[in-house]
Amino acid sequence: MIRIRRRQLGEWIAAYILLSPYLFVFLVFSVFAIAYAFYLSFTYFDLFSPPRWIGLGNYLYLLRDNLFLQKAVPNTLKYVAVVVPVQTAISLLLAFAMDQEIKFRRFFRTLFYVPSVTSSVVISLIFLWLFKKTGVINQLLGLSIDWLTSPTFALPTIMIVNIWATTGTMMVIFLAGLQDIPVTYYEAAMIDGANRWQMLRHITIPLLRPVIFFVVTMGVIGCFQVFDQIYVMTAGGPLDSTTTIAYLIYKWAFQSTTPFMGRASAVAFVLAGMILIVTVIQRRLIERPTEV
Amino acid sequence: MKRFLLLLAVLALAVTACAPAATPTPVVTREVVEVTKEVVREVEKPRITVRLSGWAANPQETALLESLLYRCSLQNPDIVVKYEPITGDYWAKIKTLVASGEEPDIYYMDIFQFPFFAAKGVLVPLDDYMAQAGVKKEDFIKTLIDAFTGPDGKVYGIPKDFNTLALFYNKDLFAQAGIPEPNENWTWEDLKNAARRLSDPAKGIYGLGVPADPGRFPIFVFQNGGRIMTPDFGDTTLDSAEVIEAAKFYTSFRAEKIGAIPADVGVDWQGTGFGQGKLAMVFEGGWLIPYLREQFPTLKWGATFPPSGPKGRGNLIFTVAYVISKNSKNPEAAWKTINCLTSEESQAIVLSTGFALPSRAKLAESEYFKTRPESLVIFKGAEFGTPFMWGLRGDVVNEQMAKALERIYLEGQDVEASFKQAAEEVRKALKEQQ
Repeated sequence: MIRIRRRQLGEWIAAYILLSPYLFVFLVFSVFAIAYAFYLSFTYFDLFSPPRWIGLGNYLYLLRDNLFLQKAVPNTLKYVAVVVPVQTAISLLLAFAMDQEIKFRRFFRTLFYVPSVTSSVVISLIFLWLFKKTGVINQLLGLSIDWLTSPTFALPTIMIVNIWATTGTMMVIFLAGLQDIPVTYYEAAMIDGANRWQMLRHITIPLLRPVIFFVVTMGVIGCFQVFDQIYVMTAGGPLDSTTTIAYLIYKWAFQSTTPFMGRASAVAFVLAGMILIVTVIQRRLIERPTEV
Repeated sequence: MKRFLLLLAVLALAVTACAPAATPTPVVTREVVEVTKEVVREVEKPRITVRLSGWAANPQETALLESLLYRCSLQNPDIVVKYEPITGDYWAKIKTLVASGEEPDIYYMDIFQFPFFAAKGVLVPLDDYMAQAGVKKEDFIKTLIDAFTGPDGKVYGIPKDFNTLALFYNKDLFAQAGIPEPNENWTWEDLKNAARRLSDPAKGIYGLGVPADPGRFPIFVFQNGGRIMTPDFGDTTLDSAEVIEAAKFYTSFRAEKIGAIPADVGVDWQGTGFGQGKLAMVFEGGWLIPYLREQFPTLKWGATFPPSGPKGRGNLIFTVAYVISKNSKNPEAAWKTINCLTSEESQAIVLSTGFALPSRAKLAESEYFKTRPESLVIFKGAEFGTPFMWGLRGDVVNEQMAKALERIYLEGQDVEASFKQAAEEVRKALKEQQ
């Protein structure tokens, strides 16, 4: 009995020694950083003077700040509500298409995946040019819209850019999921006389559920945290129409002449809370036990 | 040959054989060695390293700073200056560096950001060093050195250069419209009349660039006798009659289709629109000059003072200083470096390259200005200029000013209501400041 324990202890020690480089980084840059940010969210901290405890002050401030309540939160929710379903649907359709025996399949797969391996800043800069008043998009559509300088169109424009940039990644994940489904199920269904729609409804979608959950969750988290495109393309403007929660964190922490680190940390934790809640709800909705 | 080699071998043997022995020769050798050691010690006298950071400007400006630093290393041979330019978001980086006590000894300080640094006591007061070195406040343009004086009356930064706004105009468009070019006696009415004559919206040409930019609009407020903030920066005056009147005049250009914001002409910055001949007149600083020279070398343009408003002249001053960090271990060496970088000789070199206008008052008589009247206009703009600085929450003031103009431009809001709303937002932010 003792001998077994000792052996287990040895294994644990070995495991932790092997894990230690990662654990060190994890403890310092994740656990400590998050704990410290949590502490800061209860303080007034301008970087130059030591943090001063103000209790729930920052959180109460958020409850009466118009920029947070009337711009950042609604903008973020709108963004998530539009981008996540659209990018999931498009990437799923693309994955179905790429799963068929069509000509130049490999070529298209690569093509659709290219945006995913391109820097988001580069993508934003290119779209900045495309969406100019005198840019290609307006010329192709025969319009003259100030896409990025109009409070009405700026957020939808950024949504379009993000959908374009992320569908490739999600397509690849869906594709992997599709190819994971054993062919035998389809063969059995065919023998039973099922049509394509029935196969899709009763085999593909149920078996793809964990993958859908993964894709939607990653999409939701990514959309809640949207920052780079906004930073590069609109800087939260015009008239805060593209100020999202993540951008607000940056704005209060780093763009203010007097930094508000405490307030920014509080927003970060509110954002984390929102993501957690939405993810739990999704899990309930999507990841029901699969029945084939 | 063989004999020579043999001789060498014998000599070598003799030397090695002699060395350990206590003959008089080694004593002499030892003395020689000691002398050389002393010389070596003198050369290796510890040199003080001073770190200097600024935002990474264009390669030419970096080269200019490096050549100035080389000159200073000849003047102060015991100081080594390590230039560490910061790319990306300079203020986020420098503020976090200060927070962790890792900031460079000397760094660039923009007047807009200065109040926070001065209020927090993270900079070294320079008055004593200036007195020791015989540097007088009067040597610098008064508004500039006053701008970098803290609330306690002490000087915290030596201005390195500055910019003001000038009225840049497209000579060809003025000739086509058949109207005289702007001069320093222009008034608001002259500006408006010219804009009217120059505009041709069908061709996409507008008289004046009127961006929703807090770095342009305030000159109209000053020309109208108004202010942006109260003198102690404790309250805003964005809802005062002077500001609202100035805003009505400023936004009337676009309303009458004789003025445009950059997006109207499909550019990000009105300097580009000016270069492309879509904006006949713009208010810009000296930075426009090298840009036009490089990007639009064939454009015929001129520059003069912004027009006088109902209450006379007004301009904005953008200025940057060298400051010394309170965490610096070698503030004296840092001071010597700053003193050299802002000396009259260094400033004359800065001026001759045309990148920036020097902060030394005496250089107004420089030969350089005689051939470049447009630079002199920007230099002299400091005489009736106000520093671009709105106190500890300057970011909010800037943001609200821009939004007030955007609401008028993009949502058709009433000028007075829009600026009243902006003033309320600024007041709220000032109150929230804990």
